[in-house]
Amino acid sequence: MTTVDGPVLPKLIGERVKRREDPRLIQGQATYVDDIKLPGMLHLAFKRSDIAHGIIQSIDTSAAEAMEGVELVITGAELAEHLGPMPIGTPFPAPDHYSVATDRVRYVGEPVAVVVAEDRYLARDAADAIEVEYEELPAVVDPEAAMEPGSTTLHEGFERNIAVESYWGGTGVNPETAQPEDDSAVDAAFAEADVVVTQRMLNQRLAPNAMEPRGVVAHYEPGREYLTVWSATQNPHILRTLVAALMGLGEHQVRAVAPEVGGGFGCKINIYGEEYAAAALSRLVKAPVKWIEDRTEAFLTTTHGRDLLGYIDLAAKSDGTITGLKARIIADIGAYEVLLTAMIPTLTGLMMNGVYRLPVVRHELTEVFTNKTPTDAYRGAGRPEGLYFLERAVDMLARELDMDPGEIRRKNFVPADEFPFATQGGLVYDSGNYEPCLDKALEVADWQGLLAERDAARAEGRIVGVGLAFYVEVCGLGPSAVVPTGGWEHSGVTVERGGKVTATTGASPHGQGNETTFAQMLADHFSIPLEDITILHGDTSVVKQGIGTFGSRSQAVGGAALISAAGKAGDKMKQFAAALMTDQEVSPEDLVFEDGRIQVEGAPEVSKTFAEVADFAYVPVPLPPGMEPGISEEAFFEPENNTYPFGCHISMVEMDRETGETKLLKLIAVDDCGNVINPLIVEGQVHGGLAQGIGQAMFEEVVYDEDGQPVTASFMDYVMPRAADLPTFELDRTVTTTPINPLGAKGVGEAGTIGSTPCVVNAAVDALSPFGVTHIEMPLRPERVWRLIQENGGQS
Amino acid sequence: MEIKGEHEFQGPRELLYELLLDPDVLSGALPGVERFEEIAPETYESTMRVGIASVRGTYTGRVEVLEQAPPESYRLRIDGSGKPGGVRADAVVELAEASGGTTMHYRADVKARGTIARLGGRLLGGVARLLIGQFFKSIEQQVDDRAA
Repeated sequence: MTTVDGPVLPKLIGERVKRREDPRLIQGQATYVDDIKLPGMLHLAFKRSDIAHGIIQSIDTSAAEAMEGVELVITGAELAEHLGPMPIGTPFPAPDHYSVATDRVRYVGEPVAVVVAEDRYLARDAADAIEVEYEELPAVVDPEAAMEPGSTTLHEGFERNIAVESYWGGTGVNPETAQPEDDSAVDAAFAEADVVVTQRMLNQRLAPNAMEPRGVVAHYEPGREYLTVWSATQNPHILRTLVAALMGLGEHQVRAVAPEVGGGFGCKINIYGEEYAAAALSRLVKAPVKWIEDRTEAFLTTTHGRDLLGYIDLAAKSDGTITGLKARIIADIGAYEVLLTAMIPTLTGLMMNGVYRLPVVRHELTEVFTNKTPTDAYRGAGRPEGLYFLERAVDMLARELDMDPGEIRRKNFVPADEFPFATQGGLVYDSGNYEPCLDKALEVADWQGLLAERDAARAEGRIVGVGLAFYVEVCGLGPSAVVPTGGWEHSGVTVERGGKVTATTGASPHGQGNETTFAQMLADHFSIPLEDITILHGDTSVVKQGIGTFGSRSQAVGGAALISAAGKAGDKMKQFAAALMTDQEVSPEDLVFEDGRIQVEGAPEVSKTFAEVADFAYVPVPLPPGMEPGISEEAFFEPENNTYPFGCHISMVEMDRETGETKLLKLIAVDDCGNVINPLIVEGQVHGGLAQGIGQAMFEEVVYDEDGQPVTASFMDYVMPRAADLPTFELDRTVTTTPINPLGAKGVGEAGTIGSTPCVVNAAVDALSPFGVTHIEMPLRPERVWRLIQENGGQS
Repeated sequence: MEIKGEHEFQGPRELLYELLLDPDVLSGALPGVERFEEIAPETYESTMRVGIASVRGTYTGRVEVLEQAPPESYRLRIDGSGKPGGVRADAVVELAEASGGTTMHYRADVKARGTIARLGGRLLGGVARLLIGQFFKSIEQQVDDRAA
């Protein structure tokens, strides 16, 4: 074989390429919203309710207005003349919700007025000087009490505070009567069961706590009737659509920019009142305005996650075969429905099928308003809750039947040859192969060894337990049929002069590492060096279209769009290359990209460099017949279905008999997210997810007192997991590809939060089982553990 | 949150009852009081400076004295607010004769809101006990002064 001089470029897909984003992030060279400073920029501060529920009687803004440097003080009722109620992204009925409350407050932290002032501190002082009088109403705090007849209601038209009620199961719901057509099979399954486990469980309310709080800069230019909004958001294109709509502008008049975004975890999907208010106020005061959330505001006003109460019943035969599942879920959604609020708990029931063949199911869901911060997506968004309920119940069943937790799961797995697999809820799992994943997890963990270690520790009087959980989750959101904003993704690929490549993606990253993984994919596609590629994102004036990043969709949907656009650009490159090689009678179909050249396959001497061809594309003399100059292609990718990655997590915990403190000794995670572009980034995603999943199991909880006052609104009171709380994770993978996209990649962003939480609680229950404990609520507070030990006389 | 307790005083309960409802005595005895005036019968307005952990602030409040049954008992309704939030309390004070003096039983249902509730909530009980302790010391001093 003939060779030519030049570098040999290694393939990068599947390699542990270090994140290209990190040097600027860790060297303070990145630009976040708060780094944006515009000439003449004013600052906003929001006056917020300090009561949970009340009618606004009066707002006295005179003292604030009198302060020098205060440009404008505006109440919610006044702002409502410029901004209508905020849109939501679900089909469920929802009460009106204004950016700033107009007549009534429904949670502590709800804004009631806004100050626009010359600097941030002055704005804050002026907000403090606003006097608000309320007629206090009883606070609705307990979601079960909220549903009682005669309870105080938050919203007119929502009797008993019920926002959404749904029911499905048996053979489905009769659309005419809205009653279950025939769910006698569910009752029969439970009547005939050898064993039934029943448990009430709380999947507690969490605060997402992105490292960077929210923030927005809005700049309306009256001269050109054009609005630019910079925001710490996960989805600038959705922001553009919604802000334009509420401002009475067209999308052609709005540019939305997500600069560097320091974490989102779902809480930056929602478009918040502060973002709309900033846009409207910039237009009112004819100046750019900025608002940066402080940490207390983040605890009070950034959407919370989870908060689902589950009443779970699982029926089985004595050999461990599951014969039926009943779940009654009460979702405490807080005071309002925001963008996706009502949709999140619906995912819980759908994903409670888990990895099992469930012959019959019955699901009841009630979403309830309370005087708390609204909930929305938080890493996993509905799936961690469902898999927690299911995997706890399966674990209780194993304990009841004295079966190994791995073996009872194996017995009920959907077999590998039954995919695509349709669940009772109507989902179709794309692909799955659960047994090898379980086997690998048992092997990596040395399960038998762990059990022996646990038993030896118990013989020494120590309180030690092991736990296992197996999850499946839904990723790669779309398709458009199930995502109100559209479920596709968009990408553009431009080959620049000199053979460099600029690509855009609508999957706006905020920690997912797209600048690295997408460049790896293009480097392999064009066979050019990684350094020759720039990935742009997060600016609607640069990225023509997009949906955003949520539901672990960056690779599975965004990556697929990128590859499609790259394919189009590559085809055009080959046509230009063939035109350059007319003397050699080369057909574009014979050409391949190889080591920075475009060559006839197997004949590198018949080639042009990538740069030569790119230069020719922009000065095409003569222009090949039928071609336009330049190479700038774009593509949309619409997935036909979701992807369903899965995994098995195993953990070992030890508890202190005297203090009740739980220590996580081991955590093993074997995840299957299909094909992997960059194992280092996948592991990073899993690590972060595990920390948050363990955080829910062991530490985190948003607590309100009986008056609806949040008592965990600082890092003093809301316990975040710290590095010292976590063991060295042992990670491994199996690979089951998906047919849904050309990459065979499924998504991994949320995996860690889904398997780890039930796995750690299962280990905790195992540790406490010698004391007769069959369930413990999260988080595993020392006091809670200690009480369970004491209730049994401290003796195992 | 409920705060309750009892305290032994040396003086007779008639004297205590009088002292505990005397605006001049109270303005001297309540910790951090900057102003304490009777604005209507049995209704007082007060400005206090109090620090609860890192949450410091000036609170303006209204105190109503209800259900007076001298010298045995009375009820206080307190509503105060300032920059760091607000406190509302409903307190019942009972005085019983005891050998050599008077025993006071008190219990209050306290509701806090705002920063006080969020950041100071855990410490509110402790701070309240501390302030009540200071107040009682001051009252004891007054009892001694009257006796002298």
